[in-house]
Amino acid sequence: MSGDAVQHPRARGGQAPDVFRKGGWVSMREYPCDEEVDFVIVGTGAGGATLACRLAEQGFKVVALDAGAWWRPLEEFASDEAHQQKLYWTDQRICDGDNPLKMGSNNSGKAVGGSTVHFAMVSLRFRPEWFKCRSLLGYGADWPIDWREMWRYYDEVEQALSIAGPITYPWGPPRKRYPYRSHELNAAALVLARGAEAMGTAWSATPLATVSAPHGKSPPCVYRGFCVAGCATNAKQSALVTWIPRALKAGAEIRDLAMAGRIETNDLGRAVGVEYFRDGAWRFQRARNVVVAGYAIETPRLLLLSANHRFPDGLANSSGLVGKNLMVQSNQAVWGVMDEEIRSYKGPPSLSISEHWNYQDKGKDFFGGYAYMSQGPLPVGWASTQNGRGLWGAKLSREMQKYNHQAGLKIVGETLPQERNRVTLADEKDQYGLPVARITYGFCDNDKKLIAHALHFMEQALEAAGGKEIWRQEDDTCHLNGTARMGDDPRTSVVNADCRSWDIPNLWICDGSVFPTIGGVNPSLTIQAIACRTADRIRALAQRGEL
Amino acid sequence: MNSNAITTRYPGYDVLNKRDTPSWDPITRQVVEERLSMSRQPRFFDLAQWTAATALCTCVVVQPDDRLAVPVAAMLDARLFEDQGDGWRDARLPPLRQAWCIGLAALDAESQGEHGLVFAQLAAARQTALVEQMQCGKLRAAAWQGMPSDLFFSERVLHDLYGAYYAHPAAWSEIGFGGPANPRGYVRLNKNRRDPWEAIEATAENAATVKRKNTRVR
Amino acid sequence: MKQRMRSDTTTLLALGGIAIAATVLGARKPARAAWSAAPRQTRREAPTHIAAARRFNHSSSLLALSVLADSAVEHYRGSFKNPAMFIPLLSASLSFFAGLHGGRDRRAASHPVRHGIHAFAAMAGIAGTGFHIYNVTKRTGGWSWNNLFYAAPLGAPTALLLSGGLGAIGERLRDQPANEPRLLGMPAGRAMALAVSAGLLGTVGEVGLLHFRGAFQHPAMYAPVIIPPVAATLMVQTALAAPRPRPGTRWWLRLTAALGLLGVGFHARGIARCQGGWRNWSQNIPSGPPLPAPPSFTALALAGLAALRLRQTEK
Repeated sequence: MSGDAVQHPRARGGQAPDVFRKGGWVSMREYPCDEEVDFVIVGTGAGGATLACRLAEQGFKVVALDAGAWWRPLEEFASDEAHQQKLYWTDQRICDGDNPLKMGSNNSGKAVGGSTVHFAMVSLRFRPEWFKCRSLLGYGADWPIDWREMWRYYDEVEQALSIAGPITYPWGPPRKRYPYRSHELNAAALVLARGAEAMGTAWSATPLATVSAPHGKSPPCVYRGFCVAGCATNAKQSALVTWIPRALKAGAEIRDLAMAGRIETNDLGRAVGVEYFRDGAWRFQRARNVVVAGYAIETPRLLLLSANHRFPDGLANSSGLVGKNLMVQSNQAVWGVMDEEIRSYKGPPSLSISEHWNYQDKGKDFFGGYAYMSQGPLPVGWASTQNGRGLWGAKLSREMQKYNHQAGLKIVGETLPQERNRVTLADEKDQYGLPVARITYGFCDNDKKLIAHALHFMEQALEAAGGKEIWRQEDDTCHLNGTARMGDDPRTSVVNADCRSWDIPNLWICDGSVFPTIGGVNPSLTIQAIACRTADRIRALAQRGEL
Repeated sequence: MNSNAITTRYPGYDVLNKRDTPSWDPITRQVVEERLSMSRQPRFFDLAQWTAATALCTCVVVQPDDRLAVPVAAMLDARLFEDQGDGWRDARLPPLRQAWCIGLAALDAESQGEHGLVFAQLAAARQTALVEQMQCGKLRAAAWQGMPSDLFFSERVLHDLYGAYYAHPAAWSEIGFGGPANPRGYVRLNKNRRDPWEAIEATAENAATVKRKNTRVR
Repeated sequence: MKQRMRSDTTTLLALGGIAIAATVLGARKPARAAWSAAPRQTRREAPTHIAAARRFNHSSSLLALSVLADSAVEHYRGSFKNPAMFIPLLSASLSFFAGLHGGRDRRAASHPVRHGIHAFAAMAGIAGTGFHIYNVTKRTGGWSWNNLFYAAPLGAPTALLLSGGLGAIGERLRDQPANEPRLLGMPAGRAMALAVSAGLLGTVGEVGLLHFRGAFQHPAMYAPVIIPPVAATLMVQTALAAPRPRPGTRWWLRLTAALGLLGVGFHARGIARCQGGWRNWSQNIPSGPPLPAPPSFTALALAGLAALRLRQTEK
């Protein structure tokens, strides 16, 4: 049954899969390809699904395309790391640079719902100063959006996702109470807590997008621990079970297994629709507006693939910045063995967090910040982490025997935007005949100093919490941002604050690509907040006749 | 490698005993069943490659000798047969299948050059020594076709072999992992607490008792 | 580990000692009352205060049953890590039977064994609260919301104290004269109404905390934090104002009693809504909404009705 979803589109004939019922269907409005819809959105992850939902609810005609399959989690998400790789973007990409990235698992998804289907649900707000980090903190680039405005949209998204968070969050300005209470902390989370207390720094239960009590058709989390392999419970508030059902109800059409290959523009330099591959053929959807929401690799790739005689360097690229300023987040860790049994495979992987070094600027010899969180790796992932130390054979087997006693602290660290870190097109072609993305990445000195600071601090914290045989994992990264940054100036940015491209007024970009800086928190909540803001701005512009 | 054999801390524990409990749902049963009933005959590798791959798997992935070995080489072969990539590759490496074909041929070539025998014919200690050289990137024969041997080892050999091994229920049991968990997840999350359906960790003194108890865990 | 075991054993012994002492102390006074010689009252001539005492015994019994089931589930969840975790099971079982026994007993004299059992329950309730406070404070985070939600529930042992208290009141009342019985230096009806009121408010505190943990995700979750406080207020009014018939209060107490039973239904549905539903009982009974908890309100409301009746006969 699971092969079926990747072979034949499911959303057709006026119906789409019901993610809340085994074998279920819900009705879906459909638009003919030759009808000029208001918006065609490429990608249905944190950015695309949120925007599709909000625009449809405002009455726009919306068609959203996703290259991935439309799964029903209850019957198709196995409790199995290997099998669930079906949720990852496993089309070929080529990685080079000083620190070639590892793609696939923790930074790309290919499914309706995007990578929110397998994200770790960590839902954090940016530190307010980060929206003006050039002016206030002296690095990166300013955002064209005020933090107070973002704070309102964070509220909205937290409500929409029923975020389970602490009663009081120790960092940043006051926020509304999280709609759901934080989850019980597992032993791994308490290791972080003990370490933080020993170091005299604050810690907190992590605000998570998985419900701690029933919500609608979502039952509460059962702590099965397979979160990053897809939630078979539907407790996880992914785009697949939140924005997308809402979008369908509001009349949006979502097409699964629809790979966008090209955005067409007309002689006036406006976008007229998207060419996409579905069900064995290339098709064309006409639209008044095109939104690209494919995340920081596929978004620039599509813009570059759409180059034509009028826009020879790719669409929206007069600044030359499409594909540039790719930012990952550093994802280094310290691991240790505890006397007690931890069994960190139980529960969401990152139940506790310290954002101390996001908000504390003293004692740093670098720009930016990092959060660190407790960890809960599953066997395949854990073996891979051990391989990263160069372990194999009997040494590895002996280390793996300590699986239930290990605990770790892992950062989500800020990296600086650098133009040399970029996405370009390679000569190699993928299964659709489209050139694959070449991803070039290298840490700068500031990134390395941040990592060194974090590893040093976490090592002390883990030791204070009782960790033994402590070692450093230095090779991991997570999340992808940048490559189509927003700004105030068409010369130094790709889109404006409304995610509207400077060059083509009816071409929008709405995903993590628009981030001018990345901060030290997981980006999904901010992507969704920006999508909500973009939807409101589009309504305002439409009312003024400025679309 | 028997001298290095590992004794599990979870004697008697078998995640497969939970197959008919609420910890396993139909899709998981199906997926794991397919993995367990996988053909042990190669469909992608030719005989020479298969011989080399089998020897490499035995050398790299140490398995306890008191149970049937996890067919790592067959799992690798299946992956290559389906050309199941990761979604990315280091620019210095060729695509998945090509990397393996080059790597295995190069390993045999290195072995021939040094000892006059193919890799599979070497004594275990010599195999290990050769693999260690590969890990350090010291193997540079023409047969590598410019592919860095250390990168092949870390990105392909370790990644693919251990990715296969730890996807097998026998490996889950060995490390005391709870295994599949839907619809039944877990109740007791605090340190030193286990649900009745989780493995019991043994010490040197109580191994026999724990083994008996672990056979009833489900 | 060994040290831990020793302290556990000490704890157990200490609690056992308290229990025995309580039984003996409790037994002393009623022994003087020569309960065995007391004439059996026939149903026809049963004085009001004995009827009230029996109702209190019944309430105590129902409350004990709720505690028994709840602590069995919760302490099973806690893997009976500390042997003292068996005490509430023992105590609540005894209280349950003592309450049933008392409920059938029409004699105008307290029963020393029953009285001892109730005293034991009260003591165990107090000790349990102490243990649960210790459990919360020793956890990382101390007095944090997360620990209040997920560590040993602070309010739960109080239910055992309440059960013991109701039972003990039932016993003490039997030793009072039929005319103008008194408890704690005030008319018995007033004392009982106040006790019920305090019990209701304490229970509401516990429910409020746990339903807050559940984010009041279902509107019905507000009912037990709205209805019982009104009942508690009415009981205070009953106690303090001049006695008179109070049909409104009676109906409100009946509503509160029904709420406790309805609550079981809602909690059963809550378990069914969890992943895997009832088939996944080994997870969802300990982790889902507590099935045996809501009848505490029924028990307290029934006690409230008994107090109300007695109060109406007072001057």
